[in-house]
Amino acid sequence: MLEEEQVAFFLASRLITRGNKGTILLTIMIIAMVFVNLIFLPSIIAGIVVLFNQQNIDYSYGNLVIEPREDQLLITNVKELQQKINRIPGVVASTPRYSGAATIVSKGKSTTPLLIAINPDDEKQVLKIHTGIASGDYLNDGDTGQILIGKTLAGNKDQKVDRTPTLGGVDVGKTVEVTFRNGVTRQYRIKGIIASGQFSVDSSAFITRKELESVLGTADTANQILVKTQKTGNEDAMRITLMQYGIQEKIWTWQDKSADFLKSIVGSFNIINVISTIVSLIIAVIVIFIVIFINTVYRRKQIGILQAIGIDRSIIIKSYIFQALFICVCGTLAGCALLFVLLQYLTASPLVFPGGPVAPVLEPMLLFRAITSLFIVSLIAGFLPSWLTTREDILSAIRG
Amino acid sequence: MIIGSNLAKIYGKGSVEVRALDGVDIRIRKGEFVGITGSSGSGKSTLLHLLGLLDRPTTGSLVIDGVEVASLNERERTLFRLNRLGYVFQDYALVPELTAEENIYLPSKVRGMTVKECTRTCRDILGVVGLRDRVNFLPGELSGGEQQRVAIARALVNNPAIILADEPCANLDTRNSTIILELIRKLNTELNQTVVMVSHEEWHQKYFDRVIVMQDGKIVSSGE
Repeated sequence: MLEEEQVAFFLASRLITRGNKGTILLTIMIIAMVFVNLIFLPSIIAGIVVLFNQQNIDYSYGNLVIEPREDQLLITNVKELQQKINRIPGVVASTPRYSGAATIVSKGKSTTPLLIAINPDDEKQVLKIHTGIASGDYLNDGDTGQILIGKTLAGNKDQKVDRTPTLGGVDVGKTVEVTFRNGVTRQYRIKGIIASGQFSVDSSAFITRKELESVLGTADTANQILVKTQKTGNEDAMRITLMQYGIQEKIWTWQDKSADFLKSIVGSFNIINVISTIVSLIIAVIVIFIVIFINTVYRRKQIGILQAIGIDRSIIIKSYIFQALFICVCGTLAGCALLFVLLQYLTASPLVFPGGPVAPVLEPMLLFRAITSLFIVSLIAGFLPSWLTTREDILSAIRG
Repeated sequence: MIIGSNLAKIYGKGSVEVRALDGVDIRIRKGEFVGITGSSGSGKSTLLHLLGLLDRPTTGSLVIDGVEVASLNERERTLFRLNRLGYVFQDYALVPELTAEENIYLPSKVRGMTVKECTRTCRDILGVVGLRDRVNFLPGELSGGEQQRVAIARALVNNPAIILADEPCANLDTRNSTIILELIRKLNTELNQTVVMVSHEEWHQKYFDRVIVMQDGKIVSSGE
């Protein structure tokens, strides 16, 4: 360490250890709170994003979504294509789907949700919808005349609490009437109610592909094949692999499919986050500035005397910057301890969001950013007041 | 050697102009113990502030040890104060959070001494001023006389050519004042350091080689 910095550090360490400990402790606690505030909200937002991403993978899209070729409405020869996909290295499983709108009527209440035709056994390999059965049972491959209804679509007996059109509180065992887009109408017994926490799932209805093919008179067609890959995060590479293996259908990643939705959610949260961060940092600047400023004003005479005996003002300024940095470091450490307790608590008792439980996600970059921000803020808040005070004429400072 | 020519210090402007120093010529030889006396407002402290480079003259020239100090920039003045001047204040002006040794340590460390050298020098100097057993005492734990002796030790630590003392006994009783004056006299004699001391006590004059008397910003007697 250089000579000047050594002296400044020496002076700062003595002023801290023998100065007013109550004020320093209070300031450290305020900085700790600011630090927690800088981390907490973004980590919750990160947790929400992780939850939404996982929900999209587990309940809506899998890792990859295969759709009909450019000039086609449906994927044909699904069985053969599915077998081909399943043989590609890195693919765990795939599941074909045929979805479209249908009108469902129950006791005079009618709505037109998305009706998705699935192979229940294949679906279990790719998605987790089967784990979200709230009552009744999941479909079997051979089921006909049976339907799964999402919890939101099923609705409540008291329809005032429903925010979207529902079937007015239907339950397992009841019968609903479904009218398909080709005009065919059939009766279905509700086999189960799904409560996945994913809106798009909970507001849809599910039947088997076998059932739908008997209604539409089609065979071996689908409008989507969802693919589960071994690793999440390498979807772009897997898309290229699928193309290299001769899959000519359109291939999307789950990120492509959920981009707009996520962008709008994350964008809104980020605005809140930026405002919260700026306010926190302003509070930190003001608190450290006030503490150092009061300190320098209180020691104005002492600063004048130090200058009079030949201590350069840069040493005095640096000693106050060291004090501010000490407060910052202690505040950050105390903040880390507080945050650790808070995160432990929230991991044990997660916040419950509509999509499911949200545990805060602490990203290293976020931590780095918060520490760097506080570090810069401390430098500014330590420098400014001491610079202002040491600018003063020595005699005026000594006279107080 | 200190040579001041036509030194003036004027505060304010126009009708509110105050001439704290009005064309002062001063010459102090190396090793002299000079007292500056005069009534309140006579300009003795202002003169000491100029000699101590705590203030700049409005006009005039001031040469200390062959250096025209009026032309130095702030950093050079700070360095000059550190290396060539020792300043003793009326109210001791010690840093309350630092022990006696640490108060002395500060200017010596800034000057570039190693920690070992600093510690040895500080303890030696505290021995010179008779406070060897008060090394780790904070200023608040020392008497006024002891605090002033620490302040003198701090002024001496960098072995300055000139010691400037601004009424160092003003807050002390006669017994402690005598201790301080005898200490300064002894240092002046043994180390051949130039001492310039402001005092308005007549009985202090017996310690001085000569007394400069000031009145209305002018030297009325140089004591030569």
